[in-house]
Amino acid sequence: MKYIKALLVCVFSLLFAVSSSQSDIDYKASTIPISLKIKANAVVRFDKQIVEINDFDDMYITTKRIVTVFNEYGNRHQNAFEGYDGNTKIKKMEARIYNESGEEIKKFKLRDFSDQSAVSGGTLYSDSRVKYLSYTPVKYPYTIEYVSEVQMKSTAFVPQWRPIDDYYVSVENSEYKIINNSDVKIRTKSENFDTYNIEALSDIHVKAENLSGIKYEAYNPGISNIVPSLKSALSTFNMEGVKGENNNWEDFGKWMYNKLITGTDAIPQSAIDEVKALTANTTDNLEKAKQVYQYMQDKTRYISVQVGIGGWKPMDAMDVDKLGYSDCKGLTNYTKALLEAVGVPSYYTVVWGDNDIKSIDSEFSVTEGNHVILCVPHNEENIFLECTSQTNPFGFTAGFTDDRDVLLVTPEGGKITHTKVYNAEDSQQITTANINITATGDISAQVEVKTTGYQYSLHEHVVNQSLRDQKLNYKEYWDNINNLEVLSIDINNDKNGVVLKETIALKASNYASKSGNRLILMPNMFNRMTNIPPRYEKRNLDFKLQRAYKDVDEFIIDLPEGIVVEAMGEGEKVESKFGFYEYKIEQIDSSKLKYSRTHIMNKGNYSKEDYSAFRDFKKQIVKLDKTKIVLKVN
Amino acid sequence: MKKLLTLIALVAFVFNAKAQDFKFGKVSKEELQEKVHTIDSSANAAVLFKSEIISFTFSQSNGFTQKREVHERIKIYNKEGYDWATKKIYLYKGSSGASKENVTNIKGYTYNLEGGKVNKDKLRKDGIFEEEYNDFTEINTLTMPNVQDGCVIEYIYTIASPFYQIDDVQLQKSIPINTLKIRVATPQFFKYNRLSNPNAFYFPKSKLSREKKSYTTTSSNGSDVRWTRAAITKTKDDYFEDIITLSDVNVPAIKEEAFAGNMDNYTSKMSFELVAFLNEFGAPEKSFSSSWEKVSKTIYKRPSFGDQIKRTNFFEDDIASINAGIDDPFHKAALLSNYVKTKVKWNGYYGVSAYKGTKDAYKEGEGNVADINLLLIAMLKSQGVDANPVLVSTKNNGIPLYPTRKGFNYVICMVENQGQYVLIDATERYGLLNVLPERALNWQGRLIKDDGSSSWVSLMPSKQSQESTSLNVKLEEDLSITGKVRQMITSNLALRYKKEYIGLSKDDQLKLLEKNKGAIEISETQMDVKDNGAFSISYNYNLNDAVDDIGGKLYFSPLLFMAEKENPFKLDERKYPIDFKMPLKDKYKVNIMLPQGYKVEALPKSEVMEFKEGAVKYTFVAKQNGNFIQLSTEFDLKSPIIDSSDYSVFKEFYGKVVEKQAEQIVLSKL
Repeated sequence: MKYIKALLVCVFSLLFAVSSSQSDIDYKASTIPISLKIKANAVVRFDKQIVEINDFDDMYITTKRIVTVFNEYGNRHQNAFEGYDGNTKIKKMEARIYNESGEEIKKFKLRDFSDQSAVSGGTLYSDSRVKYLSYTPVKYPYTIEYVSEVQMKSTAFVPQWRPIDDYYVSVENSEYKIINNSDVKIRTKSENFDTYNIEALSDIHVKAENLSGIKYEAYNPGISNIVPSLKSALSTFNMEGVKGENNNWEDFGKWMYNKLITGTDAIPQSAIDEVKALTANTTDNLEKAKQVYQYMQDKTRYISVQVGIGGWKPMDAMDVDKLGYSDCKGLTNYTKALLEAVGVPSYYTVVWGDNDIKSIDSEFSVTEGNHVILCVPHNEENIFLECTSQTNPFGFTAGFTDDRDVLLVTPEGGKITHTKVYNAEDSQQITTANINITATGDISAQVEVKTTGYQYSLHEHVVNQSLRDQKLNYKEYWDNINNLEVLSIDINNDKNGVVLKETIALKASNYASKSGNRLILMPNMFNRMTNIPPRYEKRNLDFKLQRAYKDVDEFIIDLPEGIVVEAMGEGEKVESKFGFYEYKIEQIDSSKLKYSRTHIMNKGNYSKEDYSAFRDFKKQIVKLDKTKIVLKVN
Repeated sequence: MKKLLTLIALVAFVFNAKAQDFKFGKVSKEELQEKVHTIDSSANAAVLFKSEIISFTFSQSNGFTQKREVHERIKIYNKEGYDWATKKIYLYKGSSGASKENVTNIKGYTYNLEGGKVNKDKLRKDGIFEEEYNDFTEINTLTMPNVQDGCVIEYIYTIASPFYQIDDVQLQKSIPINTLKIRVATPQFFKYNRLSNPNAFYFPKSKLSREKKSYTTTSSNGSDVRWTRAAITKTKDDYFEDIITLSDVNVPAIKEEAFAGNMDNYTSKMSFELVAFLNEFGAPEKSFSSSWEKVSKTIYKRPSFGDQIKRTNFFEDDIASINAGIDDPFHKAALLSNYVKTKVKWNGYYGVSAYKGTKDAYKEGEGNVADINLLLIAMLKSQGVDANPVLVSTKNNGIPLYPTRKGFNYVICMVENQGQYVLIDATERYGLLNVLPERALNWQGRLIKDDGSSSWVSLMPSKQSQESTSLNVKLEEDLSITGKVRQMITSNLALRYKKEYIGLSKDDQLKLLEKNKGAIEISETQMDVKDNGAFSISYNYNLNDAVDDIGGKLYFSPLLFMAEKENPFKLDERKYPIDFKMPLKDKYKVNIMLPQGYKVEALPKSEVMEFKEGAVKYTFVAKQNGNFIQLSTEFDLKSPIIDSSDYSVFKEFYGKVVEKQAEQIVLSKL
């Protein structure tokens, strides 16, 4: 996940969010309805945000927010911060703190807010900054009133309304209104209004009352897909001085193509000559694309630099060629230019890059996404290239940009398409092992783990580790085996076929536990599932299994002379709509046992009523994976 | 005269020739051709050359200014090493804003071997990013162009600083350093203590020397009305510089190890502490610190320290009633520390100096470590309690082995009475008398009394933390297990539990308890803080997957979900000690009721295992008593530090403990 938080600036702008004007709220914590206190670390008492559109390049945002915080986990819901840069001016920022009984105890003016550059983890440089409140609560509960006014020349990111923006926060009152003083058309889209207490006074004016907090539950489909929201976009907008049209994705894509990308894609003749020479002996576009991708990977590295047009304009391909580094936009654009030089068409593609699957909204065009990849159309298929990685196999997207809607930026305009779905057969892990066990319970084994698809992405990190770290990696991976000693490691990374083959020789003393003259042996040594999903007395949220996968295991166990099987199970099969599981133990001959196991998980969206069945399915697998064989030492 | 010049030129030439290997802007083909580090094959990158030259230059307008010239040449073997192509330079600004560090003369190249030729790419302006990080820090980030596998990057820069404090010189990195050259020259007027990290396993060779220097000042004769040339006099003054050079080859990389605490504690570095300004005769004009006694005194003399303890008028009325009728100083300390905890919240900042001052912190209800603990000391003193500050270096600040003011970054409170004492840290909500948060548990602290005298006190928890668990187990007919767990946890371990569990909702407590315990269902959870500060947990459980029925016999391990599942010590060898942070005793009493119609066929053998003549001891006793199996185990760790030289023995010992806990009870039908 060291990939780029590329369009960070835009994510930030979306967070800018919401303010309001207050009627007759008091600041006493005691007046909050009980129903809102449950499942909440904080309650938003009042939240009003007014977005005034004065022109396509003039937006004024007024925010007022009153939050009662019950404990330290609730402090994050203060939301008392504003991002700013050359195009965003903070006109006003103020906060007041009230104690439990509603008396004012502290006041912060604009200059009392802390100021810092808004550089997140992986970003090397960004020209955006943030002002934020740093207040140490003396006592809980307390109430904070926060007021801000912000003027923006960029209107590409109109604040979204999302009254519940996190788990464990309730909302007493929230209001959002756009005042359009211009002749610019505004489109809006609402989501999840039906299931919540929301009043839509118009397309651009909404109110919510008494929304209870949401408890976090594992495997949930993502909070942003559950909560109500209203997003808006201007038909004519400004992004850092660049004017654009946005009535649909086609417009928006056309604008991106013409204003952000065109003119940045020139590359030096030397680079053109090099890739031409490289691809001279093939006429196959796919083959050419592979060679060019490899060329780009060898030549460049990823660095996150968020400057220029709100972090949306790629760096000139000429500079990328010269410097050998850039961010996702620059590297994608550069690769596109290289491919063009050898006659292979490709499209700049905007995406939400994350391990969690998140799509660009196909029905509503608005500035969104946090990452850029490259689409190479090939016959009927679209191949997507991750240009920020120096090691990623060609066309491999599992784990970061797979299975989601993305925006292709073509000369004809924007187009929504879907990236590759990795199904169970695509994402396999096949483990085979030959094991020798001694009369004292020691084992030695030769194990081979072969992975593809999504499972490849879970194992691939081992390739570039030092031997010391690889050894540690296998000791952690097989943490069910005590006293594990790694004797040798051989790794074969077939990037062409995207298959990783790990061959490990190992041994461990006292693997089988002794009990009198018996040895108790768990035959599933190398792929044991131990995690049971958490239990909920009452599950509230539907759940989602994001990716399918398949595991196949076959272990041959050699018994020494004088040891016989006293008791063992033959096998068991479990089937459910969530997947399939089966294990078998067979005695091949007097000294050989074969343990085999197949496990498939299906992806899908399931209702909350299904959760306990899902948990039972996993629970059963955990139990069956601990199946034991009793051996008798004669 | 001519002869002399030639000689000088010759000497300079020879010197140059010797240093030529690492002349900025010139790398050899051999350096570029190298595929893997010759000594440490696991290195993704290596520093071929690192030099830092620190010196002070005089100008009449600014006095002495510090100059730090840095030159680094780094070989990048593969893509995992690309991070080394980005360098961050931190610059500090004084609070006034007028005095700040500057970086100048940034130059850099990336070298690649292309078709047998060395290709050079220059670091340009667009690869240098300046960032006002916050009010005190500016960051300059360099990122090198055209970085490819096998390339060599090289950069130089100079930091000019108006400050006399010298930043630590790092002598080791997480990649190997092939050639290291450090030279620090300080004028005779500043006296520095030079400190190297004694916990590092490596230190380069060092050499001390002295060199003559001179500076020139210009002055005018003020009595002369007519401003003439003759009235200006130039004075040339001689002085000497103290020089330390550290140079070495093949500096080994420092590598992360689990359970070692802060790796910084083990990295080789040299610190310089300014201890005094000397006059031209070498006598101190102003001295800062040089012994622990002096360091303590200097800190105590600061208005932001000593004075804070003396101010009492602003709280006297508020606390008068709290201690009414109580004589015992420790009891008073307990009450007042609780009062401070409710009154003033810690804002997360460390420090030996009060940031706001005790009065403002008290009024505003917020403060740093010194604000809070000095306030507590002032309150206790005003109540006639013998309370004093103890200077501490936190775990992440490293162990203070040399007298430096920088060495302390935290302060706590000590109360003495009749030869006994307690330590208190009022920044920790769940802390108790003598139960300090883990951040402060770093070896020893320095107690300072009102008269300025000081002495060491141990910060290590003297009391063993205990975790006593009783586990009732009943096997049901369907082979599930039901039972009850009762746990009592004391001292520092209790603090850890409290921080984890208190404040969570019932739901989340349950989730946390059920985590990593298999197919367990927990109910009727009860958690309490006892009067003596111990933490108790009790709950009922139901376990579905603990018993295996194989061929009519029942198999299970007696500690069930409480058993240690794996040996956490996985490295083959260690260079640094294991730090358990507190002495520990972990006890289990398990009572298993046999199911109807079954008898015991095999029990794990009772056994006592020892590490290092009982420094750590594990006792395991299992016996049958009628219809019950009774098991008691105890893990007894007397000292929290396990030395790295004992590592392999300890690892094996711990592995045996884990194995023992996995041993199975076998029941068969009657």
